[in-house]
Amino acid sequence: MSFFRRKGRAAAAGGRPPGSSPARPPGPGPAPPGIASGPREDARAPRSGLPADDVKGKEQEKTTDVKAIKTPIPVHSPQRSTRNHALLEAAGPSHVAINAISANMDSFSSSRTAALKKQPSHMEAAHFGDLGRSCLNYQAQETKSSLSKTLEQVLQDSVALPYFIQFMELRRMEHLVKFWLEAESFHSTTWSRIRAHSLNTVKQSSLAEPVSPCKEQELASSPPAAWLEERLEGSSTARLLRPRPGRTAGSQNHAGLPGRHSRDTAPAPGKPHAGTRSPPAEQQESAKPSVSNRNSPSSALKDLSGKLMKSIERDAVSTFTKYISPDAAKPIPITEAMRNDIVAKICGEDGQVDPNCFVTAQSIVFHAMEQEHFSEFLRSHHFCKYQIEVLTSGTVYLADILFCESALFYFSEYMEKEDAVNVLQFWLAADNFQSQLAAKEGQYDGQEAQNDAMILYDKYFSLQATHPLGFDDSVRLEIESNICREGGPLPNCFTTPLRQAWTTMETVFLPGFLSSNLYYKYLNDLIHSVRGDEFPGGNIALSIHGPGSSPDSDSIGSTDGSASQSNVKKANVKILKNFDEAIIVDAASLDPESLYQRTYAGKMTFGRVSDLGQFIRESEPEPDVKKSKGSMFSQAMKKWVQGNTDEAQEEMAWRIAKMIVNDVMQQAQCEQPLEKL
Amino acid sequence: MATAPYNYSYIFKYIIIGDMGVGKSCLLHQFAEKKFMADCPHTIGVEFGTRIIEVSGQKIKLQIWDTAGQERFRAVTRSYYRGAAGALMVYDITRRSTYNHLSSWLTDARNLTNPNTVIILIGNKADLEAQRDVTYEEAKQFAEENGLLFLEASAKTGENVEDAFLEAAKKIYQNIQDGSLDLNAAESGVQHKPSAPQGGRLTSEPQPQREGCGC
Repeated sequence: MSFFRRKGRAAAAGGRPPGSSPARPPGPGPAPPGIASGPREDARAPRSGLPADDVKGKEQEKTTDVKAIKTPIPVHSPQRSTRNHALLEAAGPSHVAINAISANMDSFSSSRTAALKKQPSHMEAAHFGDLGRSCLNYQAQETKSSLSKTLEQVLQDSVALPYFIQFMELRRMEHLVKFWLEAESFHSTTWSRIRAHSLNTVKQSSLAEPVSPCKEQELASSPPAAWLEERLEGSSTARLLRPRPGRTAGSQNHAGLPGRHSRDTAPAPGKPHAGTRSPPAEQQESAKPSVSNRNSPSSALKDLSGKLMKSIERDAVSTFTKYISPDAAKPIPITEAMRNDIVAKICGEDGQVDPNCFVTAQSIVFHAMEQEHFSEFLRSHHFCKYQIEVLTSGTVYLADILFCESALFYFSEYMEKEDAVNVLQFWLAADNFQSQLAAKEGQYDGQEAQNDAMILYDKYFSLQATHPLGFDDSVRLEIESNICREGGPLPNCFTTPLRQAWTTMETVFLPGFLSSNLYYKYLNDLIHSVRGDEFPGGNIALSIHGPGSSPDSDSIGSTDGSASQSNVKKANVKILKNFDEAIIVDAASLDPESLYQRTYAGKMTFGRVSDLGQFIRESEPEPDVKKSKGSMFSQAMKKWVQGNTDEAQEEMAWRIAKMIVNDVMQQAQCEQPLEKL
Repeated sequence: MATAPYNYSYIFKYIIIGDMGVGKSCLLHQFAEKKFMADCPHTIGVEFGTRIIEVSGQKIKLQIWDTAGQERFRAVTRSYYRGAAGALMVYDITRRSTYNHLSSWLTDARNLTNPNTVIILIGNKADLEAQRDVTYEEAKQFAEENGLLFLEASAKTGENVEDAFLEAAKKIYQNIQDGSLDLNAAESGVQHKPSAPQGGRLTSEPQPQREGCGC
């Protein structure tokens, strides 16, 4: 959720509460050099309540696998009171003093401070009336742009993922992604199945096995050397599936599998137990005192769990064969030692497969993708296509624009034309201020922060503000008290006006922007980036000046030089329609000017019918017309990019495509302007 | 429709980077407002200013993102490098440390911007000749070694301030003309606004030899 409009901005949170006291470990993941928008998110958390907390929980899980995330990691923290304490400790003054001061503060701010010290709650409406009520439902994505993704986000995003796979296929590295996905899927399904199975059996038995649910426990003992050799030499799947009855020593907990079963009763035949009980419940069950009976599993149990085990094993083996075994078509780049380790985990004692067997390999593959391929992906036309899909999907959020630098470029221009650039400037500055403060986790110079905050105050809030934004007195007073707080301002200092600015931009300016020509232009540039990279013909036509005009033209770069020469002479341009078939456009016969010219100028016509039998609009839409989200244009663009077929819209998109290409063709042949015959 | 204030054909995105206190905001202010802010507070995060200039008969609007130089803002400001057509890297000729840190700024700039981004090195506070700590020659050499344009300027007097922005714009425009910069790519840092009626041409530059539009 950071607002680092960087490639891969807004990685999932490391979950560190900002301002946690120094004694406490910072939490999962390394502390990034920069910022987190935790406090901002935090500050909004009480308003939006639970969703932020849930997101935090989820994101915390997500990041446990990922080590070095390049971009700063955002932080969610609903624990305001702890953070306050920590900050106060860091700042020096005693709590007593703080409380005393708070008590003496202006009643408005004291109630606010008191509220802050309590648990997060939906206090907002009570204090500020209707102000910001519409912002109570902040979406978790608020600080991320769906146009800027980290690798992790891409892997979880069903919309972006296909584009990434396509990209990797071009580079012939798709096995990395596919392995990662398969391993991930194996990991989660295996755990689910194990849990479901064990819950099921536990439910059946009255004497639950008191097993410590240490799922992380590795398969004990050394890998069987014989197995290893077989694996490495021949690696035939059949061997792996050979039943290993001799291994049922059953004394250890292997991923909690056998241990959980009650040996006393036969479990009901595989009734799927909806995993409604959470893991803590499991653990509680198993903690019940009961007879520990780990010896000689009953045969009935063995059969059932045997099936499960076999099935898990099959999955593991299949993944292994496809990606890890030395004679796989495209093995992933892992070391021999790691391969052995995986083998050991797959064929461990008791025939138990460790569901975490691929985790290490997964993280290696993840890093490889991140380091070597992901930044290229972000520059590729595949990513552009994804962005286009998002932008034409009909639901573009303000976050998508503000946290994506290329979109922000256009949006800034729009705001300037709308004479509202100060709102944006304020939002940028205050947001940046809060982020960098939050990233310090309480270890910041309060005086410095206060100075920074005062700069913003003087510019936007004070009665002699140089760029007044019209914040009312209550907000101003609140800011004053936040800034003058002993110990310096907190990272949530400007939350209220930030939210107001956000809402203003979202409700007043965003709709206009999304219907504006600027936005149309932005989409066009994205599409252009796509086409420029993807089609040799298109690329040649568009890069009339030569190679190197697009960063991702590796495969076609070499042909550009000569081809561009010949293409200029070519009257026909081959372009790909919907990426499937090629159509020949006869440049000589199509004059782009015909689209613009009104041959019946002077007559009040809305359009005319071309010789292709198509209705060509003569009138231009009003510039301020707000297009509906599902406007024909956006749908046309979307479908054009994605290759769906819908007659009328396809035609329109086709028109636009022809228009663009021929315009450029025209440009290429500008010495001989074509006349319509 | 080309209304008067909006008659520019291009928008270039610039960023200004450099150590704190070298005069980035003052350069921007001098350029955009033609005034020298004697007592300007340091920048919080990032701000932007705009101005329209003319290059080769084309009106170009510069959208200039002025970043905070303080180290604590370094991480937030990195987000704004991307998609910049031009970058002004500023140091203070009276403080050697600001010159020494240039390699770090340059690394960031190279890593985070496009390969085609035009970077111009600016030695600010040229009016304080008496306290000069960095010679023109060595900075010039540094610039040449790294493929940067170079100018010494003074935000206070206005000397070379316009030129600084203009030189970069000329280079960018030249890159567009010779094709090394694809102005219709989304991350180029260039918006191209055809001055023809709306809804019309998307990619062509306004061509004077064309007859008047057909409307």
